[in-house]
Amino acid sequence: MDKNKIIKLEYDVIVVGSGGSGSSAAQAAAEAGLNVIVISKDPLASSDTKICEGVMTVRGAGDENDTEEELANNIKLAGGDLPDKKITEAFAKDSKVAYDRLREHGLRPSINKKRNTPKTLAIAMGGHNKSRSVGHKNSGLSFGHVNWDTIIKFKNIAYFEDCWFLDVVKNMSNEKIVGGIAYDASNGKLLSIKAKAVIIAAGGLSTLFFPKTDTMRGNTGDSYAIGIRAGAALVDMEQIQFLPFCLASPPSYEGLLAGEPATGSFLGVLRDKYNKVILDSVYLRTRAECSEAIMRAVADGRGSPNGGAFLDMTANKKAKRSGKFFMEYLKSALPSAYDNARQALGKEAGKAEVPWEVRPSAHYMMGGIKVDEFGRALSYNKVSNKTKKIKGFYAAGQAMGGLFGSNRLGSTSLTEVAVFGYRAGKDAAEYVKQNKKKIDDTHFDIHHKKFFQLFNSNGKFKAYNLKIDLQRKSWKYIGAARKKKDLLAMQSYLDGLDEKVKDVLVKPNLSWNQQLIEKLELQNMILSAKAVTLASLNRDFSLGGHVRLDEKRKRIFSKPFSTLILMDSSSKLKLEKIQRERTNFITFIKYKINELYRLYNAKFIRILPDFVKDRIIENKYKKILGSKAESIEIQAGSLEAAPAEINK
Amino acid sequence: MDSDKLKVRIKLFRDKKSFEVEYIYKKKSLNERPMVLDVLLQAQEEKIDDLSFRYGCRARNCGVCTVDINGKPRLACRARVKDDDLISPISTLPVIKDLIVKRDGIPRQMIGYNRIPFKNNLNVEAESSYHNLTACIECYACLDGCPLHKKNNLEVKNNDAYSYGNPFSFLKLQRLYIDPLTPEEEKKGIIEKAKSLGLETYKKEYKNLKIKCGVGINLKDEVIKPLLNAAFSYQNEKKNK
Ligand SMILES: Cc1cc2nc3c(=O)[nH]c(=O)nc-3n(C[C@H](O)[C@H](O)[C@H](O)COP(=O)(O)OP(=O)(O)OC[C@H]3O[C@@H](n4cnc5c(N)ncnc54)[C@H](O)[C@@H]3O)c2cc1C
Ligand code: SF4
Ligand code: FES
Repeated sequence: MDKNKIIKLEYDVIVVGSGGSGSSAAQAAAEAGLNVIVISKDPLASSDTKICEGVMTVRGAGDENDTEEELANNIKLAGGDLPDKKITEAFAKDSKVAYDRLREHGLRPSINKKRNTPKTLAIAMGGHNKSRSVGHKNSGLSFGHVNWDTIIKFKNIAYFEDCWFLDVVKNMSNEKIVGGIAYDASNGKLLSIKAKAVIIAAGGLSTLFFPKTDTMRGNTGDSYAIGIRAGAALVDMEQIQFLPFCLASPPSYEGLLAGEPATGSFLGVLRDKYNKVILDSVYLRTRAECSEAIMRAVADGRGSPNGGAFLDMTANKKAKRSGKFFMEYLKSALPSAYDNARQALGKEAGKAEVPWEVRPSAHYMMGGIKVDEFGRALSYNKVSNKTKKIKGFYAAGQAMGGLFGSNRLGSTSLTEVAVFGYRAGKDAAEYVKQNKKKIDDTHFDIHHKKFFQLFNSNGKFKAYNLKIDLQRKSWKYIGAARKKKDLLAMQSYLDGLDEKVKDVLVKPNLSWNQQLIEKLELQNMILSAKAVTLASLNRDFSLGGHVRLDEKRKRIFSKPFSTLILMDSSSKLKLEKIQRERTNFITFIKYKINELYRLYNAKFIRILPDFVKDRIIENKYKKILGSKAESIEIQAGSLEAAPAEINK
Repeated sequence: MDSDKLKVRIKLFRDKKSFEVEYIYKKKSLNERPMVLDVLLQAQEEKIDDLSFRYGCRARNCGVCTVDINGKPRLACRARVKDDDLISPISTLPVIKDLIVKRDGIPRQMIGYNRIPFKNNLNVEAESSYHNLTACIECYACLDGCPLHKKNNLEVKNNDAYSYGNPFSFLKLQRLYIDPLTPEEEKKGIIEKAKSLGLETYKKEYKNLKIKCGVGINLKDEVIKPLLNAAFSYQNEKKNK
């Protein structure tokens, strides 16, 4: 072990990640006057937050009657009652102030002059019961600039990019956080950082499914692996959100977003390879229902050439009167997704004259590190059925779990990152101020030693190739469609992979060692995949983002529970289930009736004679596009919007 | 070359030495027209397992995948490959390894630049000129041909900031300058910052200035010109007083 390869640093708070949650956390801690270090493996602010569609949930923006209770209930019910009540309430409580903080750093929406509020999308996003989704010019890029500016602004924030955070360091005698270690690839050093608090804001795990994902390459499950190794519980890890309508070819576009259920519009249907309709009224369905229909067809051998199905919108286009409005709608509703599809699938597809081949892509992890409403990470004890804070350890954004349960509504994640990033940063600052004790060097020794053991000049395997194999297996066994048999196969595959990782070639140099990077990320991907697999085995019915091909959908009266994954002292994962509180019956029934009403309404229109139908639809388009004309131009992609849900 | 293959040259940088390797890309179908990123990913899988390059979104959004193709900066995820193309790291920043360059000397020069107090009414809209600037993905293609950035000493030294500016840093300043919530009294500071980054040079070389934005922002008209104007008229005002 070489002493001059280690740089020792000391700060009050370490923030891991420079996306939306990382920058909000850093801001809160910096405002409290603390010294903060932001560490990110991608360049500053380059993150899912920067590449997203930039539509954000702001309570009350489109409707005065949008109370905190209304929004909190909406999230909880959509998430199958798995969400943690305290966390959904915190979300609803802070969404407005969190949004204003971003505006203070340059986020500039269009303004609804009549109401003097940020302007919401002309169509409410599917699943939201109020109009509260605010779109932004240049989509996520406008958020990227804000995050960048926020971190750069404070003189008491230091930041290191090209830096892989590896693990937190704890004082083993009292379990308190004393810092962390990180691999600084561009300076070729190991950073050994003392700090009383660490906030994990390092995003999700969708890279497990690459290239069947639309997210950043850095989503290698680092958050969850770091979290569980530090003793935190992971909650709802089986709940991965897949977007149904992503591209399956050509290779350069594989995985990218082509559209949302709303894209299908009034007459769009999904078809299998025999041209049989496998789902109608696509525009009113949830992301999960569409994914399920596609994955069931694929499982039956009726899938499209690249393992998906066909989104057929030709009927919209052919309709005599409404056809021309449809094209306008298609191009303007989700411009960037439409561009992807047109470039990838060609001119005829761009005109909706031929069906689009679509396939689900991994998009977002709804589970994650178990936290309370202040982002404080929690461990869990089965015997006492109690959670316990890990002092000084926090998680926010996609890294945390417990907010969305089994379904995340469009536009809610940008709010999640702004709300809980800030809450975590603020709480961490308070905690650090109360803990003045000096940190001892000795806690770090074992971590330094472990780091230098990662190198192996005689390794037999290549981490990069193992990673590609893991990505293929993940899609097959723990992807959008799962079976018990496959989950068991995945478990033994992952155990085997664990052994191989020990024998991976990592040459012993420190300056941008790609083999080391691949190995570190692979380890985190394996650990996250194990958590997903174990949790999925115990979710023995279909609920949420994926479908269990060998089990039924959840019965609506069954008792809601969440899965918890923990690591024991021998690094083995264990599973526990915790009961969730059910939303009261009346609220629940109202919600369901509303859902059914919309679906039957759409079905009714479909059976009308063509000329009547055409007129009705034409009028609907006029309404949407009319109100669209005066609304802002949004490059949005994550509209789950249903045109019929137009808000008057 | 067979029609199912493409030959590229990749410039690697290892152990302080720079050298070229050839890679033959195997097309996944006859009509495939791969992007540079597809080639790099396949090369890492098939031949150079520690090939180092940046990418993130594969969709022209994250701005980190910029490399030089035949000497000109391009986004790897959206640049199609032609036979015999040369892929090398961008020439305007110091190379760490293979195609990876050290980027953070640029953002670091902006530390503390935004000191705006927040007591404004937030329900104010920005002009489209403001939004034209938030289209920037921070790809650093505009460093190419920038007379100011050329003056920087590019040697990698820890995490130091560069002294001289570039179109990107001026874009950040101009965005702040035209933000409707920026109070008048703050604008002076913004211009001072621009000057400290060497705005004068742009004034002298404006006519011959050849800078191109990777995503098509009109940098001369929307960033440089207005800043020069503001810097100039601000001086006038001072004299008049
Ligand atoms: C294409 C797309 C469109 C979307 N559209 C919307 C939308 O319109 N509305 C909405 O609400 N949500 C949307 N989402 C979801 C939303 O963008 C993300 O969930 C959210 O931005 C996550 O923010 P975060 O801060 O948790 O993580 P990220 O923004 O992903 O940031 C993660 C950070 O952690 C760093 N990091 C990771 N691992 C490490 C490590 N080991 N060490 C150091 N640093 C590390 C990364 O470099 C990065 O800086 C979209 C997502 C995608 C992909
Ligand atoms: S101004 Fe254009 S070229 Fe320069 S960094 Fe931004 S997007 Fe890239
Ligand atoms: S990979 Fe994001 S811009 Fe190219």
